[in-house]
Amino acid sequence: MNPRSLQISTPTDTTIVLTRTFDAPRRLVWAAMFSPDKMRRWMLPPPGWTLTVCECEPRVGGILRLAWKSEEADPVMTLHGEFTEALPHERITHTETMALGSGETIGSLLETHVFTQEGGVTTMRITQTYSSKDARDGALASGMDQGMEAGYQQLDAVLGQLV
Amino acid sequence: MVADRSPKLDLVFHALAHPARRAILRQLSGGERNLSELAAPLRMTFPAATKHVRVLERAQLVRRRVEGRQHLCRLRAAPLRDAMQWTEQFRRSWEARMEALDSLLDEMKSEEQTRSRRS
Repeated sequence: MNPRSLQISTPTDTTIVLTRTFDAPRRLVWAAMFSPDKMRRWMLPPPGWTLTVCECEPRVGGILRLAWKSEEADPVMTLHGEFTEALPHERITHTETMALGSGETIGSLLETHVFTQEGGVTTMRITQTYSSKDARDGALASGMDQGMEAGYQQLDAVLGQLV
Repeated sequence: MVADRSPKLDLVFHALAHPARRAILRQLSGGERNLSELAAPLRMTFPAATKHVRVLERAQLVRRRVEGRQHLCRLRAAPLRDAMQWTEQFRRSWEARMEALDSLLDEMKSEEQTRSRRS
């Protein structure tokens, strides 16, 4: 497997961990992740949606605010959060709550990003923590394995042989 | 044809989570086998093998039919394909974002180089 490729795991019932390396120093990865003008480039909206609001203040107490618009029936989706820890270029945590235009909350989670650099290569590890296993599984509705013992790669291997 | 209720993906992943059951599926990918044939290479008793096959049946990964004293098992691959697509969607949406980050970072690096050459 390409070491650059995205690794996904579910080490506990309420978490999802995503790991990916980038061929860039971590201060650039940090800037790309948390500067609104850069975020607009990679925060790809779901098909049919447009990102309309993008605010991000990567410091303790700073806000994270995103909104998407669609032509569909429920035209707005928002994500509001707050940064609870921030060690520039190294580690940052924020809360986030997704809601529909009606105000109905879809889900909340805590997201921690840890950046480590070796040579010119940065590894970013995102840990998403949900309030319950159901919430985690719900977030994975378009998702992945459910914290099973076999692990994602084993599943891939089995499926590769059988399908 | 009887309407085929989609098995819960939970059941599929639970079924795949045990090495003996993965071994059984691998054997079945070679065609229909009876239960004793499945149990033998796993050095497993008949009741133990039956237990694992039941888990696979619940996940609808295996279909069993009884012919005389033989319990014949056959692989059903459809739930595996569903499971794979399900896992692939989450991965794909994140991988797309990460690839967008890759090209953004390439741009940011060359901008930096240009700036440092000028200064």
